Amino acid sequence: MNKKRIVVVCPGRGSYTAETCGYLKSEDKLIKEQINFIDQKRKDLKEPTVTALDRMPFNKKFHMIGENASILIYSCSLEDFLSINNSTTEIVAIMGNSMGWYSALSFSGALDQLNSFKVVQTMGSMMKDNIIGGQIIYPIINDSWIIEKNKNNQVMQLIEKAGAFVSINYGGYLVIGGEQESLNNLLKTLPPVKQYPYQLPYHGAFHTPLLKNISKKAKKLLSQKIIQKPTIPLIDGNGKIWLPWSADKKDLWEYTFEEQVLRTYNFSESIKVAIKEFCPDHLVLLGPGNTLGGAVGQILIEHNWNDIDSKDAFFKKQNEFSYLISMSLDSQRKLIAT
Amino acid sequence: MSIFNRTLIIDKNFIRFVNSENFPPSRVNLSQEKEEASVPEIISLFETQVLSRHIDIKSRSLKDEGNCYYTIGSSGHEGNAVFGKVFPYTDLAFLHYRSSSFFIERSKQVCGMTPIYDLGLSFVASSDDPISGGRHKVIGSKKLNMPPQTSTIASHLPKAVGAAFSIDRAKNLKIKETQLKKDSVIICSFGDASVNHAAALTAINTAAWINDQGGHVPIVFICEDNGLGISVNTNKNWIENSFSNRPGINYVKTDGLNLIDLLIQTRKAEKICRINRVPIFLHMKTVRLLGHAGSDIELGYRSLSDIEKTEFNDPLLHSARILIEKKIISKEEIINLYEHMRNRVDHVFNSVISRPKLSTVKNVMSTIIPNKHKKELPEIPKPQLRKDLFGKEYKRIKECQHMAKLLNYALSDILLRYKNTIIFGEDVAEKGGVYHITADLYKKFGVRRVFNSPLDETSIIGFGLGLGHNGFLPIPEIQFLAYFHNAEDQIRGEAATLPFFSMGQYTNPIVLRIPGLAYQKGFGGHFHNDNSLTIFRDIPGVILAVPSNGKDAVRMLRTSVREAYQNGRVVIFVEPIALYTKKDLHEPGDNKWAFRYPEILDETSVGEFSKYGNGKALTIISYGNGLYLSLQAKKEIEKKINKKIQIIDLCWLSDINITKIIKSIGLCKKVLIVDECRRTGCHGEGLLAQLSSIINHEISIKLHAAEDSFIPIGKAAKITLPSKNSIVEQAISLVNE
Repeated sequence: MNKKRIVVVCPGRGSYTAETCGYLKSEDKLIKEQINFIDQKRKDLKEPTVTALDRMPFNKKFHMIGENASILIYSCSLEDFLSINNSTTEIVAIMGNSMGWYSALSFSGALDQLNSFKVVQTMGSMMKDNIIGGQIIYPIINDSWIIEKNKNNQVMQLIEKAGAFVSINYGGYLVIGGEQESLNNLLKTLPPVKQYPYQLPYHGAFHTPLLKNISKKAKKLLSQKIIQKPTIPLIDGNGKIWLPWSADKKDLWEYTFEEQVLRTYNFSESIKVAIKEFCPDHLVLLGPGNTLGGAVGQILIEHNWNDIDSKDAFFKKQNEFSYLISMSLDSQRKLIAT
Repeated sequence: MSIFNRTLIIDKNFIRFVNSENFPPSRVNLSQEKEEASVPEIISLFETQVLSRHIDIKSRSLKDEGNCYYTIGSSGHEGNAVFGKVFPYTDLAFLHYRSSSFFIERSKQVCGMTPIYDLGLSFVASSDDPISGGRHKVIGSKKLNMPPQTSTIASHLPKAVGAAFSIDRAKNLKIKETQLKKDSVIICSFGDASVNHAAALTAINTAAWINDQGGHVPIVFICEDNGLGISVNTNKNWIENSFSNRPGINYVKTDGLNLIDLLIQTRKAEKICRINRVPIFLHMKTVRLLGHAGSDIELGYRSLSDIEKTEFNDPLLHSARILIEKKIISKEEIINLYEHMRNRVDHVFNSVISRPKLSTVKNVMSTIIPNKHKKELPEIPKPQLRKDLFGKEYKRIKECQHMAKLLNYALSDILLRYKNTIIFGEDVAEKGGVYHITADLYKKFGVRRVFNSPLDETSIIGFGLGLGHNGFLPIPEIQFLAYFHNAEDQIRGEAATLPFFSMGQYTNPIVLRIPGLAYQKGFGGHFHNDNSLTIFRDIPGVILAVPSNGKDAVRMLRTSVREAYQNGRVVIFVEPIALYTKKDLHEPGDNKWAFRYPEILDETSVGEFSKYGNGKALTIISYGNGLYLSLQAKKEIEKKINKKIQIIDLCWLSDINITKIIKSIGLCKKVLIVDECRRTGCHGEGLLAQLSSIINHEISIKLHAAEDSFIPIGKAAKITLPSKNSIVEQAISLVNE
């Protein structure tokens, strides 16, 4: 039997929510070992273990701060990644969204177990004492999930005028990063659409030039040596493919701790490259949660992928065949998990 | 394994030879060279080469399944990946068809490119193909600055020279429409057999000629020499002997099988070209694998041992040897990489098969006329500026003048208003053109905007097309209509097809002025009186203007320039030489064919025609000299039949608005088409056919055209052509039928 070819997509900040509490429940020995390793490292740092965090009642102020959210998300993604049935699937590429890039690096083999923890823990704790700026999210699509170019242009103009930045190209949404003052301006000037513009709690101005010092600090704390060549192709936040043979470790390190930190994370381009350059049988969203599902659907619509040209078509196709597999949904998880 | 299936053999051989580490020896000695390649870049280039190979292999199997239609591949030419790496993607690249590796490697310079998928769409002719929309398998991309090429005959080289020339000229003239970076260079590639083409030789000659004059032509001619033109061997050392000592051209040689040598020599060539702004001939010696195309059986013209010898010199095997010699990756990793790429290409190409294809006439034709580049027009120059420009002539603007003078005024105004216009051709500068249409423009606008070209029509037109790629609006002149014919393909095969094969993403705006047609006073003779416009009749998307008088000529020239500027159109503007200085219509001194210079905003839109008279006894339809003669005949005809007639001047021979013409004919039952061009294939012939098939009431339509003869010299010069008398005769005969 031919293996299912999949591209793994790792979620970013904001994917661990009240609904995902208690996500870490695998009894698999290998997975437990990995989670125990993380717990031990957290103990060493006198931080609550990830297991403890996951079992606690959800508390925004506690679960959503960087140093806790990052490790929770990474751990949940790790559990899902390790649950993929290798005898029936072939992972042809790995990518992520935002901090999901660190998970992607880890799962592709570019970071070993210890360095994966170091990177996630360090980068997640960078704004422990002082969050730099913030992020808001705003739609540029219509009700059918089709991107409206005019609207996008108008929003881009407002962003520029406010001195803010596009933090993430997120399917039918723009995640906008900037100083709070700029964001306040945008919260007033962006025309209200349902609950948007919406400021993401406890998020900094990720992927913007405001994080210049964070990048410098990261490069000091995390040396070049931590990066290895990936063993599985990686697709970064520019849509660039890093192949196991040619990937340059230094370039990958530079990208991860400089460009990726300071420039727009183009999740939409990454998905486009994944679907077109690898043509997988499925895109697999790791947990926690399923927040990336909508964005991925909107990107598929943008490229008319599998003739999906609207929100309705997307859900209809998904009902017929789960091109997009979300591991947080049991019905879909069983399609590829052990 | 059949000896005929070389694709399978080459595929298997690669794995076999890598596993056994049986590699071809290096053809070059690099021990003296300073290494200029990093480990990751060598592997990355190898990955590209392997991808390109698998695309060729897959395309052959897709062809067998009926899903791929054009299998000229890149095997043997994978070394051109290095060009894709060394030259930044901002350098405009006009490439030949064996350039998959170049495309893939250049894609790595731009985030979010999907080269395998896009090439797949092109191979299966899907309308999703982002460059041609399923119209041809072309190597091209807007984002990567690679205009699509379908030509195999080096016809893209003349425009590459024009584009190269445009870079520094745009910088000097501060052209705001310029699209290329100031320090960029142009690259164009072609095969060794293509070098024999006139277009290649003329392009290289022009680049050298300009360089010899001290002009800047930053271009790298890349000759990918595989030693074969389909089945014909290129003479040994022919390319090197022909180009290594040519004045005005810098020759650099490289081994296309050796990535390190390629990197060293290409970087050298690129540096010389970019810094010194001079033409380079980069000679890449390589091999051709898998035959000319999928349908080509090499065993029909080459011995098996010869083929096997060539196949052993597979560039992928050479690259693998380098990787292992330098201990960069192991043979197992090479095989693993090779199979990984096969797997990717297989899946991507299998997935593109189901993508949609062009399915309607409308879809296919939707890109013939480019309309994606609608630009705002420059402002009309202020009156004082015009006054200063025209000088003492300004007062004469309001006087009636002949066509030659009015066209000269119009060109002055155009050059003043459109700062990106540029005029060139044979004798157009100091001399002001053979017929003085460009008189004094050189003085008014300087040598940078009005200059003489070498005596070569292919270069003149190609040069213009290249300038058009970089924001210029070229208005070149071809001295006589008969001279256009040797350069025809520059319009037919290149200019007209560019928007079609690029879905309008690329355009080459141009207004090509051609003095032409017959009836000239003096010595006559075919080459200066050629009376055939047939060559323009069937080229989709090209506008053909043939004014008959100075007023229309000015209005139509303005429209032509606007169409080229705003919509990227290709316009052929044929000026009847015999009418250039005509001022009188019926008798000497009547001044009825002299006109005042039209107001600055006056235009005649494409397809709009003029009408003389309203009589319904007869409609004469004509253009150019035929129109002039018909108007002369009008008086006599009307007198003889004692009824009024009407005459239509088509003005534009393309875009004829047949519905409006039929409406103008109205209830008139006699139509005489007067065409000064040779009967067979003339525009009148087409008009006759169209009118006859559309008009459903009783009507007599006749064509009075020139004989199917060349124009003789001396007193016989006009005897094969319609004349005033013959028009009168034909008209009366038709009316009395």
